[in-house]
Amino acid sequence: MKDQKNTLTIEHLSYSYQNGDQTQQVLDDVNATFEAGKVYAIVGESGSGKTTLLSLISALDKLQSGDIRYNHKSLKKISGQEFRLKYVNIVFQQYNLIKYMTAAENVEVASAFDNRKADPNKYLKKVGITEAEGKRLVGKLSGGQQQRVAIARALASNSPIIMADEPTGNLDEETEAKIIDIFRALAHEDDKIVIIVTHSRRVADRADKVLTLRRGQLK
Amino acid sequence: MLKRSWLSIKRKLGRTIILSLVFFMMANLVLAAFIVKSAVSAQMSYAKSTLGGTVTIQADMDAIRETQQAEMQEGGDPREMFKTMNRPSVDVKTANEIASSYTDYLKDYSYSLTTSANSNGLETVETKSAGDSGRGNMGGMTPPGMDFPGNTSSSDTALDADLTISAVNAYAYLDGVQTETITLKDGTYFDEDSTDSVLVSYEFAELNSLQVGDTIKLKNAYTEKSVTLTILGIYDTSADRANANTLYMNTATAAQFLSSDDYNEGNYDVDDVSFYMQNSDRADEFVEKINSEFSELAENHLKVAVDTSEYDSLAGSIESVGSFANLILIIVIIATVIIITLIVTINVKDRRYEIGVLMSLGASKKNIIGQIATELLIIGTLGFALASVTGTLFADTLGRAILNNQVASSAQQSEQNFGHPGATVPDQPNNQRTKGNSRADAPDFSADNLPNMKSVMTANRAQAVELDINAEPLDYLLLFVTGYLVILLALLLPATSIMRYQPKEILAGKE
Repeated sequence: MKDQKNTLTIEHLSYSYQNGDQTQQVLDDVNATFEAGKVYAIVGESGSGKTTLLSLISALDKLQSGDIRYNHKSLKKISGQEFRLKYVNIVFQQYNLIKYMTAAENVEVASAFDNRKADPNKYLKKVGITEAEGKRLVGKLSGGQQQRVAIARALASNSPIIMADEPTGNLDEETEAKIIDIFRALAHEDDKIVIIVTHSRRVADRADKVLTLRRGQLK
Repeated sequence: MLKRSWLSIKRKLGRTIILSLVFFMMANLVLAAFIVKSAVSAQMSYAKSTLGGTVTIQADMDAIRETQQAEMQEGGDPREMFKTMNRPSVDVKTANEIASSYTDYLKDYSYSLTTSANSNGLETVETKSAGDSGRGNMGGMTPPGMDFPGNTSSSDTALDADLTISAVNAYAYLDGVQTETITLKDGTYFDEDSTDSVLVSYEFAELNSLQVGDTIKLKNAYTEKSVTLTILGIYDTSADRANANTLYMNTATAAQFLSSDDYNEGNYDVDDVSFYMQNSDRADEFVEKINSEFSELAENHLKVAVDTSEYDSLAGSIESVGSFANLILIIVIIATVIIITLIVTINVKDRRYEIGVLMSLGASKKNIIGQIATELLIIGTLGFALASVTGTLFADTLGRAILNNQVASSAQQSEQNFGHPGATVPDQPNNQRTKGNSRADAPDFSADNLPNMKSVMTANRAQAVELDINAEPLDYLLLFVTGYLVILLALLLPATSIMRYQPKEILAGKE
């Protein structure tokens, strides 16, 4: 019997913002399934709710209605902190690295929360950061290097789901291509679910599946 | 967590130094307040030891009245009773025995004796109130307004005596020294061992061409017995020369001029018996012991009474300083708590982005608070430890400044009661017994030059006063424990306030 793939399922997900007296519906009964081993690109216009959807999937925000399940495990049943620790890691557009730490130390932090001792250089090497670069404070690295450190941190966390919010937004074309290669490798070689929220056509073109968020619906 | 804490301390060195300095300064303020409190406490003990109070033996007027009333009820004649009424008095043997029995309670003791003598050919100085001079101590056991005609024995019948003898067991206890109406002009003072020595007035010495070291012959006004005395010193009289014909000497010498009855084979009566306590707190206990061991005093209508007025008057001012110190301590602690809370709050708020990042990576709230708490406690320990070192140095300066101020007050207080050992500061360079000796040709009365009175209390008087004005180990412990608690509480408030938001809101700065 063939092994069942790890899946992330979104069920009837709705989300709205209260803006004064008005309610702005951002997500309206969104349903989707993401399988391990694939890169998904979520595209859409600015303000279409891409980042909100990413925040909900990665448990950075609370669900209002609907549910998110990882292998049938409901996000409603476990805490956001546990979900973030065990199942998902996020690569932010602004990297969100800890400034007073070196690249290696930033990578080490992610594995420390679930009491694993990971070799940061192993993950940094995977994203093309040398050991010498790994010893530098992250503020001393270029934007592309910092983004790669953020990806290395996501790798070190050993999470089955990698979420990325505009990961190449600040990068040049060449670096962008390298970063996308890394994400593809993560999905195809490490069997992770990779979901990239992007504006970039080039990034979307290299994804295994592209989903468009429009008027609160994901298609 | 510990690694992150250490990295944060090490890499954010500017913040670490600023926080350490804040903790250091706050801890110094708290320690200073503790020290002020400790110094005040030390002053109280110091005041108790220096102004220990005085216990006197006086006529018990209530007991005397009760006895009289009882006798009148039994049909006694009031006029006869009045004529034969004797002034209650203490004999010298009892006074010495009390003092030698309770050396651990007393700093010193004193008593006086007043009598008369004939000049035996020497000229006397004409004074405004000749014959009255130096008689102020007669009836020292008698309360004001009360006379005892029954005491018309020897001293008061010596009507032809032209010199007054005023004696105490040591020079410092002379009323004139205490009130600064006499000062030594030449020679030295007497003590308990200065047998057959005398101090004469400058006028008397001039009139009779006498100098220090000369001898004079005086006659006992009752027995006509001649007594030879050596002039030990010449004193300057008060402006009105009222005591120009008064001779000062110790009681043993003066006793030679008593009548045979009054001399009583060496166990003569003495006046103004005073015991100077080492510590006023023990005065009541001392009185109880005297009453218990020397019950004959009460039988003779004598009452042992405590006079702690000197200590009480100064204790009031010390206690007010103490209350002020407590107030300062409370204000400093409140201010410290507020400042540390604000600083820690600002520091934590400043790290909300880092908190958001850690939360987004799956860090638990406990883990994040633990990291920041570890950092702050390490920095706090550094600040408090430094403050403990500087606080010790600060303590010495501040504590002694307060103490010296109080000692000055104490000295001022004792100046009003000059000569009372209870009001003097033991072993202080400017012993109050030197007061009033301002003339350029006056002999050196510095503490080094002042011989011991060789009373039974000399050893106690010489005891140095060592004051502990440092913060106590408990104060340091309290500082650290309170400091840690304040830091932790100050951390919990903003940290929990931030972490009740979702990571998305924290990272977006919407919390």
